[in-house]
Amino acid sequence: MALQVLINLFIGFLWMFFQDNWSVLSFFSGYLIGLFVLFVLRRFTSTKYYLFTLQAVVQLFSIFIYELFASSILVIWKIIQPKINIRPGIFSLETSLQGDIEITLLALLITLTPGSVVMEISPDNKVFYIHAMDIPELSDSVLRSKTRFEEAIKKVTRP
Amino acid sequence: MIQWILFFSLILLTFSILVTIYRLVKGPTAPDRVQALDALGINLIAGVAVFSVYLRSTAFFEVILLIGILSFIGTIAFARFVERGVVIERKQSD
Amino acid sequence: MSGSSLIELSIAVIILLGTILGFLSSIGFIRLPDVYNRAHALAKSSTLSVLFVLLGTFLFFLFLEGYFSIKIFLGIFFVFLTSPVSTHVICRSAYHSKVELAKESIQDDLQEAMEEYTRKQQHNKNTEEASII
Repeated sequence: MALQVLINLFIGFLWMFFQDNWSVLSFFSGYLIGLFVLFVLRRFTSTKYYLFTLQAVVQLFSIFIYELFASSILVIWKIIQPKINIRPGIFSLETSLQGDIEITLLALLITLTPGSVVMEISPDNKVFYIHAMDIPELSDSVLRSKTRFEEAIKKVTRP
Repeated sequence: MIQWILFFSLILLTFSILVTIYRLVKGPTAPDRVQALDALGINLIAGVAVFSVYLRSTAFFEVILLIGILSFIGTIAFARFVERGVVIERKQSD
Repeated sequence: MSGSSLIELSIAVIILLGTILGFLSSIGFIRLPDVYNRAHALAKSSTLSVLFVLLGTFLFFLFLEGYFSIKIFLGIFFVFLTSPVSTHVICRSAYHSKVELAKESIQDDLQEAMEEYTRKQQHNKNTEEASII
């Protein structure tokens, strides 16, 4: 991905020099043409076309924001009940992701899902231990959102 | 009108800082106190931001960044201290 | 009512919403029973409240003063990234220093795993010492 961005910047600069017109506007038009060239040549690069990766990043970020809103509304709803009835506890959750970046992203996302905080990760990076505010109600929803997150993360990190 | 709304939000922030100070003083264990300090830092960031809107001045933006970074580093250091008894681990040479 | 004062009013409402969220989550600091449950209030609601307030400040200076503040933007990014990390670290240190869960808790998978882990470590240590001798 980094190589593709570099090639794209190079095409932008080249376009600007060919025009003999040192301005942001001609550089920008060169950059757009570089995007088009890379899109045409996308079968011959080793990694995925980088706008697709960028789109996956944006999708992951929107999931992030949505989960933050939903979870804080749920926590506040639990707090302002006249009598707090919660059944907290710690449950374990297995993951299929590998590598530091993927594990970190998944932990960050699970911490922001409704009513769950990652407490500990097993030494072989396979099992998450998650504290949930209301286990009978929440463990299913955490499991469901976990599969969604894993797919979104794999789209970003796997080529 | 806007000044009054901002004033009201400053009052609310003051109340929430008082609540976290209560937890800081009373909290039965050490992690409770560390957590209360973290929440205090976050509330302070919000307070400085509201205050800079209230005064219409951009002079306090560095303060926001500084409080954010310092409270994060402080939380990490305190948590390591609670967990292991030291902040910086040295390799035991034996 | 002119346009700029309408923008000003809506930004003030965003900031007020953020502070109300912060106040409710700090009520949670009193009412919830133990460290692990309070971490939920800290990780989600406080973060959302400070994000609202910083977003309101950013929009205020963007629209009314025409000042694009990259510092506020960095602050938003930083709070967004660090708050889950610090929550996780606090929870972990609390569990390692043996703070008990609230008495309403119904499940604890981590305890068994930790016991097994320490037993394995102890076993490794013993075999190492035996091999040295």
